[in-house]
Amino acid sequence: MEENSFNLPKQTHDIFAVMARGNFISSNGTKDNMGRLYDIINNPENFDRLQAYFNVIRYNIERGNNYFYFSKLNEPNSELEKKLERFEKYIDIIDLFASMDNKITIGTRFRPSEIAEECNANVRLKQKLQKIPLYRSETLHNKVREICDLMSRDSFLEMEDEQTESYKVLDSYTYLLDVINSIAIYEETGNGEETQGIIYN
Amino acid sequence: MENVRILNRIVEINVASVKYADIELSGNTCFVGTNNFGKTSLQRAILFFYSANSRGLGISASQKPFEEHYFRYENSYLIYEIKTEDKPFFVIVYRHNKLVFRFVDAEYNPDYFFNEQDEALKIKEIIQGLEKRGIYISNQIDTFERYRNIIYGTETDKLLSKFHLLKGNEKYQNIPKSITNVFLSSKSSIDSRFIKDFIANSLSTENSSIKLEQVERQLRQFNEKYTDIETFLKKESQQLMEFIDKKYDQVHMLKGAQMEMADKLGSSLRYAETQNDTIFKASKQKEEELEKLGEDHETHKDQLEEKQKDIREEIGYYDRTIREANKKLKEYKEKNIEQAVEKNAEREKLQVELNIARREYESLTSNVQSIEMKYSSLIDQLRNDKTAYINKINSRTSDIFNHYNELQLLQKNEFNKKDAELKQKREDALSETNAEITAKQIEFNELKSEEKVIRNTRFYENEIKAHEMELAELRAVSYKNKSERAIKQNMVQTLQKEWEALELKLKTSLQNQIQKTNNEIIRVKTEIRQIEDKLNVQHDALYGYLEKNVKDWHTTIGKVVNEELLFRTDLEPSLTDSKDVSLYGIKLKLDDVSVVSKSIEVYQFEKNERLAAIRDLEEAMNQFQVTNNEEKMLAADKYGKQLGELKEEVKVLAYSLELADKREKKLIAELEDWKARASKEVEESLSGNRQRLNIIEEELAILNKKKNNLLDDFHLQFEKLRVFNEERLADLKSRQETEISELEVEKKNQVKEFEQKEAELSAEKESNFKSKGVDSKQIKQIDNRIKELQEALKEIEQYSQIVSDYLKDKREIFDKLPDLIQKKDEYVRSANDLSNQLEEATRKYNLKRMELNKQKRAFDEELIEFNNGINYFTKNFRETPVYNKYAEIIERAEPKKTNYSVMDLCTQLLKNDSHFNEEYGAFQRYVNEFAGKFRLDNHFNFMIRHDATQAEYERFAQNLRSFINEHKIELSIAETATQIGLVTDSIATKVKELSNQQDKIQHIISLIAEDFKKAEFEESKLIEFIKIKLEESDNKVYKLLKRIEEFREENGLVYNEGLFNTDFATGTKSREISNRAVKLLEQLRSAIKEQEQEEIRLQDLFELKFNIKEGMNETGWTHKIDSIGSTGTDILVKAIIYITLLHVFIKESSHRSSKDFKVHCIIDEVGQISAHYLRELLRFAKNRNIMMINGLPNKSGLESHYKYTYQFRREDNGNVRIFPSIVTEVQA
Repeated sequence: MEENSFNLPKQTHDIFAVMARGNFISSNGTKDNMGRLYDIINNPENFDRLQAYFNVIRYNIERGNNYFYFSKLNEPNSELEKKLERFEKYIDIIDLFASMDNKITIGTRFRPSEIAEECNANVRLKQKLQKIPLYRSETLHNKVREICDLMSRDSFLEMEDEQTESYKVLDSYTYLLDVINSIAIYEETGNGEETQGIIYN
Repeated sequence: MENVRILNRIVEINVASVKYADIELSGNTCFVGTNNFGKTSLQRAILFFYSANSRGLGISASQKPFEEHYFRYENSYLIYEIKTEDKPFFVIVYRHNKLVFRFVDAEYNPDYFFNEQDEALKIKEIIQGLEKRGIYISNQIDTFERYRNIIYGTETDKLLSKFHLLKGNEKYQNIPKSITNVFLSSKSSIDSRFIKDFIANSLSTENSSIKLEQVERQLRQFNEKYTDIETFLKKESQQLMEFIDKKYDQVHMLKGAQMEMADKLGSSLRYAETQNDTIFKASKQKEEELEKLGEDHETHKDQLEEKQKDIREEIGYYDRTIREANKKLKEYKEKNIEQAVEKNAEREKLQVELNIARREYESLTSNVQSIEMKYSSLIDQLRNDKTAYINKINSRTSDIFNHYNELQLLQKNEFNKKDAELKQKREDALSETNAEITAKQIEFNELKSEEKVIRNTRFYENEIKAHEMELAELRAVSYKNKSERAIKQNMVQTLQKEWEALELKLKTSLQNQIQKTNNEIIRVKTEIRQIEDKLNVQHDALYGYLEKNVKDWHTTIGKVVNEELLFRTDLEPSLTDSKDVSLYGIKLKLDDVSVVSKSIEVYQFEKNERLAAIRDLEEAMNQFQVTNNEEKMLAADKYGKQLGELKEEVKVLAYSLELADKREKKLIAELEDWKARASKEVEESLSGNRQRLNIIEEELAILNKKKNNLLDDFHLQFEKLRVFNEERLADLKSRQETEISELEVEKKNQVKEFEQKEAELSAEKESNFKSKGVDSKQIKQIDNRIKELQEALKEIEQYSQIVSDYLKDKREIFDKLPDLIQKKDEYVRSANDLSNQLEEATRKYNLKRMELNKQKRAFDEELIEFNNGINYFTKNFRETPVYNKYAEIIERAEPKKTNYSVMDLCTQLLKNDSHFNEEYGAFQRYVNEFAGKFRLDNHFNFMIRHDATQAEYERFAQNLRSFINEHKIELSIAETATQIGLVTDSIATKVKELSNQQDKIQHIISLIAEDFKKAEFEESKLIEFIKIKLEESDNKVYKLLKRIEEFREENGLVYNEGLFNTDFATGTKSREISNRAVKLLEQLRSAIKEQEQEEIRLQDLFELKFNIKEGMNETGWTHKIDSIGSTGTDILVKAIIYITLLHVFIKESSHRSSKDFKVHCIIDEVGQISAHYLRELLRFAKNRNIMMINGLPNKSGLESHYKYTYQFRREDNGNVRIFPSIVTEVQA
């Protein structure tokens, strides 16, 4: 089908380029014209056209609170499992962020050094930070940096100022919170077999 | 020798490495020397003569500046000699701190500069020398600009004006620029860009470029502001602002409430600490007061009861007495005592009547006294016997009577005794029961009065009163606040209306001004168009023809011809043979006729004047807009601030009203609660009382029943006793009566016998009397009468005892009965009074006791509460973060009693704090989300740090609120709208300024093209033609700039009322325009970023294309020709183009009258050109009055084509010597 027949906005390629990487388009993003892209998708007329267009290539635009992302139609379970595995590390990160004195929420601007300092001054936070897996950095500061890098790559954060190393929390952060909130922890003691685990709703 | 002006000679004295050089330049000149021998330096020195710009000589930054390299010594001089029509003059250039010039009106002579030892003189000495010789030397010319003015003939100073090389016009700057450009361009390939640069550089001034960095900065600033406003106006942002505002209020309220509560807690704690001892003492005191009250009451009660007892005894006595009297009276009545008393009253009278009857009888019987005596004695005897018998019987009767009476009395006494005993028993039993009943009754009454007291007691009166008072105060304040709010709201409306009116006024005046300006601009534009039309057609019209063919036509034809006629293109003018100045053969004296025609310059001037007028109009409009905006901003500042303050006040009032409302509701609820508690307390107290009352009532009923039973029992016993007594008495009486009646019968019979005997004796006597004549009938009557009287007396005598008793009783008892009753009543009253007194005393006592108990209980409870509160505070509150949060308030609070317990306050504070934290978290989230929507350095300064304190978050909310209230967004929009106007305007102006040069370019290009056409290549046939044409620029940035300019032209002054205009009814068109403007600016910004170009210069406005045919090769229309043929050909073509350009520029930039001058074209390396071509080139130049100065690396025979050839040689001491080479010029 011809692209033109959809009467698509001219930023369709940019939108696809961002979202096909598994990234989010948040309304409060500024880099790469993200805010503008959000406005374009958010326009109801555009949304329907884009949705129809992307559905053809088996992508579905999902709408979150002030953010958009792609989901794949008929995604195989193995892929889902991988996604869940990847997501696990975010549980600890969100736990850490939510335990800060000044909680990190949408729109918060912070520097990794600030987080590291707070973790350094608070044993509980320090432990939380230290137990976050996958990172080998020795100093707390570097560890926080790596977390920020990861989250920036996954488009949950955005580096606003390279000089001051200042990050901003994007609207897509809600996605993480929503997923975490939908986790139900259960404990099963029946049938002689003790199982513990988490369920993603 | 030609009479032309030309740079004839250049002399270097102590310049760079050259000690002295005198180089003639009046013809084509060639410098031969290997590299680094100073060829270029000399060429630069020559160039400096033309350009007088030490920075535009192509000296690289790594090299020494011109001043330092050339003028190392104070006696370093550059001397330029200029040949003129008559005598030459020269210019001395030397360094006096900076480079300065002096003109000398003489031919160059080395003697002026050297002393006898061939040492160069100092400038002072030179001047002195010249002055001595009487040669004019000008003052020092300090600026390059002035020097150029003199050289290019635009100097107005008459002393200096003669020192010109040529007479330039206002564009003379193009000449030095062109010469410089030729010298500086060293590329061998022919690139249209270079030619473009050449033309552009020649035409442009320093300002004729658009600095893209500046434009980009303006665009970025605008874009950032626009984005900020756009973000601000987004629905999500507006929603967040509302949330922040609401949450801030909530948080503020909660915080206020918490602080208030903390203050209360502090006050309560301090109060508890300070009041502990006092309350303990007060409680003790109340206890003592209670004890004393109990004692006093008991004493008083005892006294009253004592009195009551005495009175009761008195009442009993009187009661008994009255009862007995009444009983006696009843008995007397039953015995017809009244009749007896009546009869007894007649006793005396009857006794007298008896005595009279007796005396009458005695007088009647005195004649028969003896008989009488006999019979009388017999009768008397008989009577005496009879009387004795009667007496005896009577005595016996009396005995019996008395005996039975005695028995009856005994019986009565016995009865009375038993009765009394029984009564006593009954009384005892009754009094016991009654006492019990009374006690119960008293208790009952006490309880009743207690109930009354309870009912009358207002529990929690203080609290209720305090609440009621607080409510009243709160309502008063609310009422005041409501009216204040209404006033302020009115003020807000008034101010809003005033503001709107002012805004409307400003808007209308702006629109009017825009309309006026636009009309004016349209009018001026029409005029410009008319002028342009004239200018455009002038070539083909009569005007152009006259310009070309008729010298000074303005002073002849120009005076008589109609202006319209001048610009008609259909007149086909042609010259006739007649050279006479005539009008169709008629000679006219036109000296006094004013010139009608105008020169092209005048038209140009008029056009420029109008363009300037447009600019002025636009400038004025911009100024007006700025002023308008400033007024708008001032109004916004004034009204916005006032409105903001008022709205804030209204909000504060609304908030306080809301708080008051909540407080009122709370107070009402609390009051209701207190009332409910009070009524519950009453109910509880009453229910206890009632239970007790019910028990007592029951007990009373039982006691009454018992009393009634007792009374019934005693009544039965009394009845039995009475019946027995009456039966006994009746028996005794009947026996008495029987015995008496038996005696009476006996007595009657005996008396009858006596009376018979007496009758017999009386009969005998009668018969005797009769016999003796005595009236026995009368005697008998008297005797009967005596008997009757005696009988009556006897009857009276019978009741005498009872009457006497009665009378005695009457006297002693009955008559006193009313007094007794009265006294009894008095005692009863007294008893009642006492009862009442006792009851009242008990009630009062109970009341007071209850009051004291209550007070004591309150103290005790307070004490317990204090201690509990302090304990709770210490154990459960002091260690919490909430305490730390409000520690200062708690610790600083004044001791004060509050309506709340410490424990309640602690609990509430803890509870509220968790609620506060929740609300605050939400508030922070909203603030973060809102601030996060904006750029880091947004111009609203909506920025919150991650580690911001609560105060900072609150300040953020306050600032946001002020921002909204003061309509700062509108100011920002107005500023941004102005900015977009200014940006587009500034871009349009710059583009226009630059585009205006395009006409010149077009003109220049057409001249060049024409000059190419004129070029005579026929001889060599090598270059068949060189064609040049102009095309539109494909520079993306310029295209966009142009579009913006066109947009600006199309829409006039863009004032962008439509920017962010949401009024769909009115703003659609202006919004569309604004959107287009914003879009264009955005595109321009991206293009600038993409293109990474620093500035848009004149050369970016157009594209040049060449088409060159050399031999069989034709390049076709192209931008760049790398190679046309051999290198020599390329150099030739390049040089031809340069010379053409130079020629064109010189022609364009010099005054029409000034034709007799020559300039130099300095092209350094021409070594690779063939002799044939060189000759061709030199001739090409010569035909255009241009002398060539070229550099050759070595002698190759080419130098023979130049008039002057100089060789360069470096000497052992490093100095360079320049000396003429002896060659013969082959005439070009």
